[in-house]
Amino acid sequence: MGGFAKNKLAEKRGYTYRLTRRQFLVASSAAALAACAPGAVTPSASSSAAPGKALKIGLLLPFSGVYAELGTSMRRATEFYLKQHDNKLANRPVTTIYADDANVTATGIAATQKFIDQDQVDVMMGVVPTPLAYGIRNAVHAAKLIFIDTNAGGNALTRDTTNCTPSCKSPYIFRASFSSYQISYPIGDYLSAKGTKEFFLAYANYGFGTESAADFTTGLKKNGGSTTGNVAPPLGNADFAPFVTQIKNQPTKNVYSFFSGADAIGFIKSWNSLGLPAAGYKMYGAGFLTEQDVLKEVKELANGAITSLFWAVELDNPENKKFVADFQKQYPLLPDVFTVQQYDGMRALDEALKALGGDTSDKDKFVKALEDVSFKSPRGDFTFDKTTHNPIQDIYIREVKTQNGQTVNTISDKIAKVTDPGK
Amino acid sequence: MSLELVFQQALNGLSFGALLFILASGLSLVFGMMDVVNLAHGAFYMLGAYVALSVVQLTGSFWLAMLAAPLALALLGLVLEPLLLRRLRGRHLDQVLVTIGASLVIVDIIGQLWGREVRSLSAPPGLDGSVALIGGVYPVYRLFVIAFGVALAVAMSVVYRRTKIGMLIRAGVEDAEMLGALGVNTNRLFASTFATGAALAGLAGVIAAPVFGVQPGMDTDPGLLYSLVVVVVGGLGTLSGAVAGSLLVGPADTFGKVLFQDVALAVIFAIVALVLLLKPTGLLGRIRVTR
Repeated sequence: MGGFAKNKLAEKRGYTYRLTRRQFLVASSAAALAACAPGAVTPSASSSAAPGKALKIGLLLPFSGVYAELGTSMRRATEFYLKQHDNKLANRPVTTIYADDANVTATGIAATQKFIDQDQVDVMMGVVPTPLAYGIRNAVHAAKLIFIDTNAGGNALTRDTTNCTPSCKSPYIFRASFSSYQISYPIGDYLSAKGTKEFFLAYANYGFGTESAADFTTGLKKNGGSTTGNVAPPLGNADFAPFVTQIKNQPTKNVYSFFSGADAIGFIKSWNSLGLPAAGYKMYGAGFLTEQDVLKEVKELANGAITSLFWAVELDNPENKKFVADFQKQYPLLPDVFTVQQYDGMRALDEALKALGGDTSDKDKFVKALEDVSFKSPRGDFTFDKTTHNPIQDIYIREVKTQNGQTVNTISDKIAKVTDPGK
Repeated sequence: MSLELVFQQALNGLSFGALLFILASGLSLVFGMMDVVNLAHGAFYMLGAYVALSVVQLTGSFWLAMLAAPLALALLGLVLEPLLLRRLRGRHLDQVLVTIGASLVIVDIIGQLWGREVRSLSAPPGLDGSVALIGGVYPVYRLFVIAFGVALAVAMSVVYRRTKIGMLIRAGVEDAEMLGALGVNTNRLFASTFATGAALAGLAGVIAAPVFGVQPGMDTDPGLLYSLVVVVVGGLGTLSGAVAGSLLVGPADTFGKVLFQDVALAVIFAIVALVLLLKPTGLLGRIRVTR
């Protein structure tokens, strides 16, 4: 064994080595994929250089595993935006290439490498879990690939950190979603300034949950607030009763929590069945605690919860009204926050391309154009912070209420133009 | 920890343990009888929960769902056993592989049919309230779960020890070939055992849904993960082992998670490691002679 196996036929035809079965499979499936991609079959009509040529966007999203619904939602947002814009961004027809990370970091890193080497995409978007965003940061940076993060909210991705640990900003990385600071610090600052100073913490025990809890605590401390203790169930915890029981047996009535999806549902249900509202406990949290995926399951059980996020489907501005109405014409459901993040990512890309006349050949100009993007999003005014590439956005304080049989997040206040403190 | 808190957490641990028993009983039964580690057990559990979701949506009755889900799963078991497992009898690794394959297919079909959103099921009317108990109120449903777990264990034990079917099962566990030689239709016996195991998984899907929720990923965690842990800790393939396993794992996991929350995920595996170190066959397992 060792070296490449020789075969007669290969020699006769002048090949130096024989294709292994694995190489054949990779090559042939890649060819099949390329043939399936809509843009690849129709040769570009334009004869000019970059503008007019198909723009390749690689989207790395989870379509299987626990975050499958988020991936589906973000793919829907991409298709929705393209449908509204004749499948074009500026003057360039768009080819989308989707890859499924299945919420496995290694799979996502491999898919990113494929975007870079094989598909040679012009722009990369997506990425749901923060560890994956951190994991692909160096590859994207080295390849000078423009990457617009449309979910993962880990602070370090758009900050200057020592030794780039666990990650750090890159000129080529933009974020159209949020940093965990933005959904946690302002509400801590806001609540303590209003006089609610003592909190107990309950958060999913993983990177993003602990980061959110820490940022909230910093916000509290700014106005002399403090935390009195915490419970931290593992991410994807099955039974929340033990943790809610711990909360019930301590005296601090205000509880700040960071949970999302199934965890949020389990937490809110246990919170009610163990009688915490009646005992005077009050629920606060980062907005994902009471997003629609959760509210449609727990309904009025979440009433009274106060959370912060950069958007709510009920947000009263003309762009959001139009966005929600148009979306509902296409799909039999309400848009969620993930839809907005991806939609805004597409919009930012579109605006930058318009400014460039569709010419993406100069990376530095591309970066500059994205930095200068400014538009009215369903969430309010949207711009990128030029130093960090994280969005500067308004944060809304929302309270869950049941009105006319619908449980919704009502907007009770707004914290204008929140900027991540990254340098 | 105050005494009150210990009491409340013990109750949490006990009801968690009862859920684990319902979840693991089917896996234990199938392993004991057929010597098959059914890795599709978690997928069966998940399917049970989703069937229940639809039945509740259509009829509004949780109790009907508690009948329909096990029935649907029993039918699936009756089809899958002759189709997949019977051909591979005695080939353990192949059987394990085929059950993994079945679980992947089932989970994907669930995603196609029901979508991949996070869902939930409420406790049925009458059990959805709370009762006053030491240290405040406690959800009635969790008390019901404890009662149901005990009732199921007793019922299974009666069937196992006092009925002809139980006798056949015990004989099958001992020596299936000999049982066949004595004129018992082992094919039918195996198929119905597998169907019963699947039905129990489906039942667990319904009963656990108001507590554990209904979502993608539930087939492995808590589904397969916890049932395997219970069965391994308790002792492979015996009913008393499943009872002992869930009585240990339920409370230990509950207390472990709140007392050592930074290593919460490791607690359960620490229990497994410790038990296997001290008693390699599990708490109440017997040594199996490989033939």
